[in-house]
Amino acid sequence: MHLIKKLKLYRMQMMHKVLKISETPTEEIIREAANTLLSGGLIIFPTETVYGIGALATEQKAIDKLLSYKTRREGKPLSIAVDSIKMAQEYVEVNDIARNLYENFLPGPITVVSRGKHTVANGVESESGTLGVRIPDYELVRDIVKKIGKPITATSANASYKKKPYNINDILNNVSDKQKNLIDLIIDAGTLPKREPSTVVDTTGGGETVLRQGDVRLTKVRETTTESGEQTQELGRELIRKYKHYLGYKSVVLALEGELGAGKTEFTKGVAKELGIKEPVLSPTFIVEKEYQIETTEGSYAREKKPMLYHLDTWRITEVEAEFEALGLVDKISEGHVFSIEWADRATEFFEKVSETAIIVWIKIEHTDKENERKITISDFAKE
Amino acid sequence: MKILAIDTSCDETSVAITDGTRVLANKISSQIEFHKKWGGVVPSIARTMHQENIEHVVKEALRGAKIKPEDLDAVAVTQGPGLAIALEVGIRKAKEISVQIGKPLIAINHMEGHIYSTLAQNKSGNPKITYEFPLLALLVSGGHTELVLMKNHGEYKIIGQTLDDAVGEAYDKVARMLELGYPGGPIIEKLAKEGNQDAFPFPIPMMKTRSCDFSYSGLKTSVLYLTQKVLTEGISKTEKKKIIVDVAASFQKAAIESLVRKTQIALEDLGEEFEIKDIILAGGVSANLALRKEFRKIFSENYRLHYPTNKKLYGDNAAMIGVAAHHHLEKGNFTQPIDLERLPNLSL
Repeated sequence: MHLIKKLKLYRMQMMHKVLKISETPTEEIIREAANTLLSGGLIIFPTETVYGIGALATEQKAIDKLLSYKTRREGKPLSIAVDSIKMAQEYVEVNDIARNLYENFLPGPITVVSRGKHTVANGVESESGTLGVRIPDYELVRDIVKKIGKPITATSANASYKKKPYNINDILNNVSDKQKNLIDLIIDAGTLPKREPSTVVDTTGGGETVLRQGDVRLTKVRETTTESGEQTQELGRELIRKYKHYLGYKSVVLALEGELGAGKTEFTKGVAKELGIKEPVLSPTFIVEKEYQIETTEGSYAREKKPMLYHLDTWRITEVEAEFEALGLVDKISEGHVFSIEWADRATEFFEKVSETAIIVWIKIEHTDKENERKITISDFAKE
Repeated sequence: MKILAIDTSCDETSVAITDGTRVLANKISSQIEFHKKWGGVVPSIARTMHQENIEHVVKEALRGAKIKPEDLDAVAVTQGPGLAIALEVGIRKAKEISVQIGKPLIAINHMEGHIYSTLAQNKSGNPKITYEFPLLALLVSGGHTELVLMKNHGEYKIIGQTLDDAVGEAYDKVARMLELGYPGGPIIEKLAKEGNQDAFPFPIPMMKTRSCDFSYSGLKTSVLYLTQKVLTEGISKTEKKKIIVDVAASFQKAAIESLVRKTQIALEDLGEEFEIKDIILAGGVSANLALRKEFRKIFSENYRLHYPTNKKLYGDNAAMIGVAAHHHLEKGNFTQPIDLERLPNLSL
């Protein structure tokens, strides 16, 4: 064979170097990975969830290369891996809510979305300037990041919309040769345990919102005591205020639990007030569902349908799922409304059905020994 | 002027033929039996039943009134308030008939209908009733509790209403707490007769404020606390029965007392500006004899009291919609079929 042809073939085969974790000293892997990243290359690396693809987040050339690997992103932001909250702060504004997550849950399979400081290459932050940050619960990755002193991208290594990558073949069998050629180094840790990709939590709206549910079921629980119906209303107001910006494109479902007379309707009255609803909000028990037009200037109004508040009560109905079906609730969920559902614990199947599409907040109201006092427990994320 | 009226606001499919204030036919296909086992109205069942029944009830009404569709002058239908998916069924039918016979369509507020249930007459034009405006109406049902100032036909102003549960709903909920079944109103009323209404002094709702608004949520909660305390497991059957009738009587006393007191306050407040001589008491709960008795006792000396003129007119029915539509027909208040939409939260 002609020498040049031979060389070409050799290069084709050897475009990426593979380091097996089981056969390579850790020091060498870290060194190789750091060198590849610093020279603008792409590496495939294992994490506690799926295989990730890393590029130096501050290097435009590297990011451009990554973006040609991850095609068809449609404006989806990338996320970055850092080794500490200190490093995170160089790239994003870590507010109190984010700090709380860093301190309690990281390192771990959670991506915390914060407002970016525009200190990474173009295309890493989202179009609205937010950036997801992760501290992987995988020492090797943290050591690589520590060695180069800069964040690397931590997006999953599959081509967009393809199989979640738990081993190297999952990746290589699903990408084109052109994509394969973009990979410079593969750190092969064999087949990873099947865990969901990280849970993505947005902290930029003033509260936490789960954008993608992973294995970690974040349950942020707050307990409050109110001493009157007015205070219970006020709590409803405060809660929905945090979620108003979702109106029109993502539904917010308030799942209310509590005995008769606990104050579930009071809570909803507060929610309605905050949403600019002037009509009195009355108990929906008698007719199961009441609807109110939301009057607010926040959120997205690009939609034809104006957002509504649907106030429901499952107290009297036995076939809750069938009834919700008849009321067309699952379809309405995709339109970005607010739902307040009393006796929500009787509609568990419904909540499972909509947990991917809607933001669900559980609110439990309990009587205490004192007549007008209520203990209110708010869980902002899906139930365990 | 003959009107075919339809009401499918909740759990009754009703079609009536009226001529002015005379009711020529008032057909009601009740669904109560079907909802009973669920302890209340179930929207999907209500819709299915309305769909199954409407055609038949329309025919029955026309036959009962001995009228052909072409003899009608207008079609009236309840636009709201009510159960959204139930209202739709009646509205669709009304549009269809209106287009078919080429006669105007009139959209009616269900609560306005309840007011006019007190003006409805039989075929021969009895009883002969006149109002003197302005008047005060107290409308009480499973979904509503409101005090309305009516200055003239079609002129309404709500001066007080419930801030949470309707009075009929409170009856239903208390009945459920006591495990008595549905609908709660008639059961509680019946048991209350055997009980001691002073056994448990429940707080009378909204007495601390002078507003004309009602609230039954607190009363409901008080009943709940009490039943949890006194209906303990160790008690005998006789003791239990005694407690249940006493709770029913004591609850009813507080519920009625609040309706009476708020009506008094409304009359006092309105008295500064208007001379009111007539009071209307209507809606499903106005069928409660204890309530009517109390109203007579307190108000009949100084006011003329009006109730629905026969027992088919207390609950939801289409005759009252037809009678209410009569005034709109005279004024030419019509709606284009294409514009008529259900308004589940419609208010007077």
